[in-house]
Amino acid sequence: MITIAWMTVREMVRRRFAIAALLGTLVLVALTGWGLQHIHTIHKQHGHALSPLEIRAVTAALVPLIAYLFSFILAFAAIVLGATMLSAEIESGVLLPVLARPISRGAVVVGKALGLSALLCAYAAISGGLEFAVIDAVTGYQPPHPVAAIAALAALAIVMLCLTLAVASRLQTVATSIVAVAGFGVSWIVGIVASFGPVYHNETLLRIGVVSQLLLPSDALWRVAVYQLQPAVLVATFGLSGWPGPFFVLSPPPPAMLAWSAVWVVAVTAIAVRSFAARDV
Amino acid sequence: MPTASASPAIGAVALAKRYGTVTALSDLTLRVERGSIFGFLGANGAGKTTAVKMLLGLVRPTSGTAQVLGAPVGDREARRSIGYLPELFRYPEWLSAREVLAFHASLLGASGTQRARDIDRALAAVGLSPRADDRVATYSKGMQQRLGLGVALLGNPTLVVLDEPTSALDPLGRYDVRALLAGLRERGTTVFLNSHLLTEVELVCDRIAIVKSGRVIASGTREDILGEQRGLRIRAQADGASLHAALAPFGHLTEHSGVLVLPDVAHERTPEIVAALVAARARVYAVEPIVQTLEERFIDLASSP
Ligand SMILES: Nc1ncnc2c1ncn2[C@@H]1O[C@H](COP(=O)(O)OP(=O)(O)O)[C@@H](O)[C@H]1O
Ligand SMILES: [Mg+2]
Repeated sequence: MITIAWMTVREMVRRRFAIAALLGTLVLVALTGWGLQHIHTIHKQHGHALSPLEIRAVTAALVPLIAYLFSFILAFAAIVLGATMLSAEIESGVLLPVLARPISRGAVVVGKALGLSALLCAYAAISGGLEFAVIDAVTGYQPPHPVAAIAALAALAIVMLCLTLAVASRLQTVATSIVAVAGFGVSWIVGIVASFGPVYHNETLLRIGVVSQLLLPSDALWRVAVYQLQPAVLVATFGLSGWPGPFFVLSPPPPAMLAWSAVWVVAVTAIAVRSFAARDV
Repeated sequence: MPTASASPAIGAVALAKRYGTVTALSDLTLRVERGSIFGFLGANGAGKTTAVKMLLGLVRPTSGTAQVLGAPVGDREARRSIGYLPELFRYPEWLSAREVLAFHASLLGASGTQRARDIDRALAAVGLSPRADDRVATYSKGMQQRLGLGVALLGNPTLVVLDEPTSALDPLGRYDVRALLAGLRERGTTVFLNSHLLTEVELVCDRIAIVKSGRVIASGTREDILGEQRGLRIRAQADGASLHAALAPFGHLTEHSGVLVLPDVAHERTPEIVAALVAARARVYAVEPIVQTLEERFIDLASSP
């Protein structure tokens, strides 16, 4: 298992995927820094520049958007990596001599899951850390709980990875990617729709949202991440009226949802292991 | 309970595999003794690869049972002693041959100096030592197949399963593989060799099974499969009709461009025939047995309904 996990990490590094991802992220971070720089040049109607407080307020509203971008990158990276490291390796035959070794199918799946999770977490930490550092340097704004937000985004990536591996244990690369992207997309849209629930006090919408989050906790984890990025002032200001959509979260999913996400990851990995163990290769 | 070493290397009983409506293997019963080189021969699509994958636990049998090295198929510990070269061999292109072998050595749980020596030995055995540190991506198909053989030989396996091991090799490479197999036989390693290349099988295998449409249609030693060989070809001259008269007692006689053929006569009767020809005052230039090759026999068997 450790051998497989280590091999997975080595593959990413040796094939320069890791370095490519980091370079791409550097460009992205630089672009957001350059964009935020422009807040300084916004002038109020009567010609005065924004005060530092106002700059921080505008930035606070923009940070969830930037986090959103990173959540997409992480989710799609998890899907692509999961599909290529399992489906594609079965299709190409690279896995055949490996599976003939004295190693269980479960160790192969879990090893790959661990290796890829470690990479996704490392990527989330590095890119998130860089991004928040640049935001701070340019605007002087620091979101309240950046580390917790990054952890929630990493957890989102792990959730998508586990879903992808479970599907990849049976389907081919392209089909796996489609199913995983569709799952992510549906959970995302249902999350947005359900966010109107509290605003209109609609029980059905609320319930649909919870069911969707139970089935695939990716959107729940996104909401946890956003909540960690919102300053208390903002929550207090908009708190009474409520604010639907993915960028503002009044009440984050309860801690039980976090516990459920952990259970979900373990359960779906177990499904992936069982399904892979039973298949012909 | 038979002990592990008394059991055959492979014992399969009524092994079958269906993919939906396609029957890949319908009824495989075979026994491969330890220390032998076993040739599993069949046309494309006969079910050879399916059989091998079931023996390695990569594919689940639809019905039937099999034991490999005394353990049920797919047993994890038994796989420690099995080397496998798949038919469609692919190794990580971003690694060097040495690194691929090191990866497999760690999957086998090997470590230390013994492991480094094993890897060097495997590289040397398949003739890859000079290119051992180049990336697999730069290898030709034949070199990749050599690497696959090296992977299969790693860690001194008791049983080596090779699925079409020379499909990508040139005649020289095939010769090397035959020498390699001879070396394995000397060490007492059991080899299960899938092939549709008859000379390959004929030259190295102790026992052979011919599979057709998922069923074994003949098995045994090469001689068992060929059966009793019959027929003689004769070149001789004599005056008048005495030649035909002398050969008349030996059954059906045909003549093609001056060569007389006795298609049904047993090889053992050659001295009798020569004596009869000499008695008829014939001048005998040649009396040669007609030998059916495994290829001809295989084509006979494979094309019979
Ligand atoms: N995964 C599979 N799905 C469906 N049919 C298969 C599969 N694998 C093999 N077959 C079929 O089983 C038969 C035997 O195939 P195979 O064992 O590869 O033959 P061989 O190795 O002797 O060429 C063929 O008809 C092949 O089409
Ligand atoms: Mg085959």
